[in-house]
Amino acid sequence: MSTTTPTPPAPQASSPAATGESVGSRVLRALLTQRTVLIVVLLVAVLVTFVVMDAGGYLTGPYDGDTLAAALINLVPLAMLALAEMLVIVSGRGGIDLSIGSTVSLTGMIFGFAYQSWGLPLLPAILVAMVAGGLCGAINGFLIAYLGFPALIATLATYYGYASIALVINDQKPVTGDDIAGLYSSAAQSVELPLIGANLPDIPVGVFYFLLPTVVVVYLVMARTAYGRRLFATGTNDVAGHFAGIDVRDTRFKAYVLAGVIAGLVAVVTTAQFASARPDAGTSGNGMALPAITIAVLGGVAITGGIARVAGVVLAGLLVVWLNAGIPLAIEGNDGPQFQLLALGAVLIFAALLNGLTTRRYGGTR
Amino acid sequence: MSTTTLPPAPAADAPPAKIRRRVLPSPVTGQELVLIGVIAALWLLLGLFTNGFFTELTLISLLGYMAPVAAIGIGMTIIIITGGIDVSVAAGTMVCAVIVAKTMVNYETSVPVLVLIAVAVGAVLGLINGVLIAYGRVQAIIITFGTANLFQFVGLQIFGSNTVNGIPRDLKVFGIGAEGRVLGLPLAFVITIVLAALAWVYLRHTAGGRHFYAVGGDAHAARLAGVRVQRRQMLAYVITGALVGLAACFTIGLGTSTVQQNIGSGTELAAIAAVVIGGTSIMGGRGSVLGTILGALLVQTVSTGVTQLKWPSQLSDLFVGIAIVIAVGADLLRERARKNKSRRAR
Repeated sequence: MSTTTPTPPAPQASSPAATGESVGSRVLRALLTQRTVLIVVLLVAVLVTFVVMDAGGYLTGPYDGDTLAAALINLVPLAMLALAEMLVIVSGRGGIDLSIGSTVSLTGMIFGFAYQSWGLPLLPAILVAMVAGGLCGAINGFLIAYLGFPALIATLATYYGYASIALVINDQKPVTGDDIAGLYSSAAQSVELPLIGANLPDIPVGVFYFLLPTVVVVYLVMARTAYGRRLFATGTNDVAGHFAGIDVRDTRFKAYVLAGVIAGLVAVVTTAQFASARPDAGTSGNGMALPAITIAVLGGVAITGGIARVAGVVLAGLLVVWLNAGIPLAIEGNDGPQFQLLALGAVLIFAALLNGLTTRRYGGTR
Repeated sequence: MSTTTLPPAPAADAPPAKIRRRVLPSPVTGQELVLIGVIAALWLLLGLFTNGFFTELTLISLLGYMAPVAAIGIGMTIIIITGGIDVSVAAGTMVCAVIVAKTMVNYETSVPVLVLIAVAVGAVLGLINGVLIAYGRVQAIIITFGTANLFQFVGLQIFGSNTVNGIPRDLKVFGIGAEGRVLGLPLAFVITIVLAALAWVYLRHTAGGRHFYAVGGDAHAARLAGVRVQRRQMLAYVITGALVGLAACFTIGLGTSTVQQNIGSGTELAAIAAVVIGGTSIMGGRGSVLGTILGALLVQTVSTGVTQLKWPSQLSDLFVGIAIVIAVGADLLRERARKNKSRRAR
């Protein structure tokens, strides 16, 4: 795990179209270096494939607007966590958060207590979840940014810690009750869009209440604030950043805190979806960290830090979710989830190899 | 990048034995001594505060159950020394275990052949990781996250969405029952210790073994010094894969006559925890197999202790997390002291 950003060979094609580059190589370069372009192409390919299979009668269920809209309910937590991973990966020095699934479990339990047992109103309870998530992130950030722990190890340790506390805190039992059950009907349902909604499938409200605000805030933070500039600079080269007067530690610390806050919000979403606060919400099966990291890497986030785009990550989330929606329809029997594993793994390896190739050939993705 | 404590083996014309002895660090490092002390203190406390700790059954199962994680930990140590990581070992264990289990149910097979099958399957899985990481030049964590999914898919397909039942008792020689004892110790534990000793000698006293340290310390310098970096990286994953196969046999032997789809889950994290608690630097270039064995012993002691004290078993994960933080924190402090010392010396 190298901590230095790789020194790519001088880009061969740094002088673009002006020098008479052929159309083919320009398209290829756009595909390889503009991750959003590649993802859109893949997304269209996935949609066309499944729609054609649907039309040909090869699917066990319809792959139409309603299916795609319903699948968005899975996009909400995944894309939000992928954005959280993006923040910490961009901060560089092998930044990664393996503990994000455990953070969701733990803050979900705390949210459950706050909303159900302590009887807080919804908004303060959500605030409690965000603060709890921020504290979990702050522990990670303190270990990594201020004490110099490798992120992989610090978050491995807190993965164990948070998961354990989440299970022990309520004796392995989920937090349930009328309030949380009521959350399901109000926060996990689908609604008709105003004005144009009659012609469109119903969209899960979580997209509007949780995902879109997160996307907008993360985009504004990264692209429009001084903090965002500092974060990219820290991730690209923290020694240079330090000499340029950036408080590198503080910048990296805040990235982990922000990721924790997002995980706290995701805990609210999953609690609403399950209609109970489950102590293993973020860690059951393969956990939530793996798909989140997959989507971030697929979305063009360079694992070495310093390179990322919000649009790429969100589109990568759509790709994974709509691919996952189609697979069970195309596979006979109950093997669907297994093929989703296969697809996720293959996509991750493909994206990683592609990122490596682009870095060597063109000096990185954008 | 951390400093390399073990330089690549001296060239043929280098001055002989005397210097080489000085270049080698002491066989037992500070972290290992501290670990021995911590484990001894824990055992003492557990002996005082529980009734059942110093009984044959508890100690034998402690040693037996640590064997799979310790065996994988040997390979994981080598991988982490080269600066890599492997989070696919749990899925690899599952693939090896289901193939062995199905073989045992469907064909009459002797134990050596079963072990050979498992080791070969594991080595192939390790080769896939190694080729992708070394020649694809991609971060190990990303690739092994991906292959973990692929291996899990393969394993589940072989399972056929069922558990494997009615497994013969052949592999009980790796269990903690009476048939699995050598010199009064569990056979799986003895095999692990022997393998660890071999790995220790290989890593410290052969040129090939020390190349792993060179790759992890500074891959570029190692390449210039004539180390075939990519081959070393690949070999580390293949070794680990083979050990994963062996660990799968241990796990079947420890279990009942049923192999379930979640067999081996969590071993990747347990093995990494054992390695870093044992003092191996996650940045590569430094570490020892002896530390890993002690780390695995500490982790198993913690979970045995939690059970013996009748605390909720999930608490042991919290203690493992804290142990990781303390162990890595101590390592960081020592690193800082080392740097200050070398700065003052100049």
